[in-house]
Amino acid sequence: MLRAVKAKNARSKRALEAREPKEIEDARTTVFVRGTHTGEVLNGAMKELMALKRPHAISFSKKNTIRPFEDASSLEFWANKNDASMFVVGQSTKKRPNGLTLVRMFDGKVLDMCEVGVDNFISMNDFKTPKAAPGHKPMMHFASELFDTHPRLIQLKSLLMDLFNGEVIDQIHLTGLEHVISVTLAPTPESLNSTAAFAEDDTKSLPKVHIRGYTLKLLASGVRTPRVELVPMGPSLDLVLRRHQAADPEVWKLAMRRPKLKKQDVEKGLGKKRKNMEVDEMGDLRGRVHVAKQDLGKLQTRKMKGLKKMPGEADGADSEDSGDGHPRKRQKAT
Amino acid sequence: MDVSDILASQAAKHKSVLVEKDIPLEIDTGFLTVTDLNPIDNESYEENLEDFLQATARDGIQALLTSLFSLPTKSSPDGPLAQLPPPTTQLPRAKPLPKPKPPTKWEQFARAKGIQQTKRDKKVWDEEKQEWVARWGWNGKNKEAETQWLHEVPANADVGFDPAKEAKDARKARVSKNERQRLQNMSRSQGASTEREERKKDIDRTLATTRVSTASMGKFDKKLEGEKKLRGVKRKFEPAERSIESEKKSNLALLSKLDGTHKKPRREGGGDDVLNVRKAVRFASKGQGGVALGRKSGGSDGKQKGRGKR
Repeated sequence: MLRAVKAKNARSKRALEAREPKEIEDARTTVFVRGTHTGEVLNGAMKELMALKRPHAISFSKKNTIRPFEDASSLEFWANKNDASMFVVGQSTKKRPNGLTLVRMFDGKVLDMCEVGVDNFISMNDFKTPKAAPGHKPMMHFASELFDTHPRLIQLKSLLMDLFNGEVIDQIHLTGLEHVISVTLAPTPESLNSTAAFAEDDTKSLPKVHIRGYTLKLLASGVRTPRVELVPMGPSLDLVLRRHQAADPEVWKLAMRRPKLKKQDVEKGLGKKRKNMEVDEMGDLRGRVHVAKQDLGKLQTRKMKGLKKMPGEADGADSEDSGDGHPRKRQKAT
Repeated sequence: MDVSDILASQAAKHKSVLVEKDIPLEIDTGFLTVTDLNPIDNESYEENLEDFLQATARDGIQALLTSLFSLPTKSSPDGPLAQLPPPTTQLPRAKPLPKPKPPTKWEQFARAKGIQQTKRDKKVWDEEKQEWVARWGWNGKNKEAETQWLHEVPANADVGFDPAKEAKDARKARVSKNERQRLQNMSRSQGASTEREERKKDIDRTLATTRVSTASMGKFDKKLEGEKKLRGVKRKFEPAERSIESEKKSNLALLSKLDGTHKKPRREGGGDDVLNVRKAVRFASKGQGGVALGRKSGGSDGKQKGRGKR
């Protein structure tokens, strides 16, 4: 465990403050760790994934004795040391060749893990096509009904989205969109279709995962929205799902807590839907205003002396009431 | 002139931007993500894998781009920026939510009293110099009293009275008081009760209740070793700082008591063993009470007369 560090000067204080929890979080810094043995395929895959993840990526290029599913203490140490909240661990063994473990952290502890085996890997360099500029936010595409139903694949989708696309942004330059990461499953096997309850550890029946990288080509279409064509960019990976560790429900609940939105944010429209406001087809913001029915009875017309209320009138009526009230009551009682 | 064929040929040049799927695509524009929940077609998957993957991805991305291009835009020096809605997919946080800064004693007091926080400028206007000077720090306005060239000395001052030193000491005392208060605030915020302590308090309270819940109020119960004697409840007073609402409420309650419009508490012990005064009054006034009886007997006072019918 790291000792609690106290800042000695302004610069280190700023650095420590940057690590403190924030309401709106930055992108997850990912550490790419090599295990005791990584083959050529894994090295290439990790290098390319890191290229996609840059600049929020740290490479541990030396070998490390690490088994995420048995002992996560090293991961926790590295997470604190590097302010990283995600790990990609590559490890190739005889039993599990070309294994890639995606680890997600919460508050310096392991939240959940998923191990995939790389079956087939084609590098970006093998595609002689233009590449997307690094640092661009990719668009993601997931295809299969299992991404909505099967717990393993829901977790995988969440992990992959966190890896490539986790940062929340409020605006984007549309011409800057040029990178697509597509995740498609193989056809759903019968065993998954028929049985309602999925066997958690039955990884054999789970379909293959195809990850592909594309660049966008926008063509004129005659309307505002351009016609999209995709050009393969790489890397392309075919993955099989292996071991996994689901998140502890308690910790997961803590991790899913959202900050309360400030009032100005709500007004800006970040939070709830704005009432009585809409954007029309021209892209203009239009508002509706509700005006209550006018009460003509209260309308101030011409003032005339004869219609004026005398100051004594109201008082006289009051004294009459109070004067009457008591005797009448007394009569009733007697 | 018939232009329909020209239009048709123009339309044929552009491929469609519409995507049709059995199950509509789930689009999360906030994360630029689209999920296609249609089952994978086995035939086309087997036939040509790469083409199939690219075609599915194209359809999904086309739908995503259609929704992205329909978003409202804001102009910027680099070009129009699409305003993204907040993401619908929930991803776990990397760190817990930041804890709110604990309020200082003054902040608590100000909130209770409804005092508005005003930001003090670092500079103040100096009428004599006709310029802005620092409120504190180097050549600060707060050192004016000790650096001025002429000092006023009170008539009853001692022989060794040094007005400059007096002003400086007063300023130093204010600084040290502020520092002391800062440290107190810090220790108070650290000593805030934790969940564990709350639970302990809760258990202690329950235990205390059970100890006096027997017929003898715990007098003849077997005592455990090391069991402490029950402490009584200490008197509590209203805090010095309260919110304006509660203060107003209690003051109004006091006023209404003085006003006499509410029911007065019954006074016991009027009269002797023979005569129950309260009962007698009730009988004499026919249930109207002593006040009504008094009004009836002495009802012809001036005030009543004046308020008669006009």
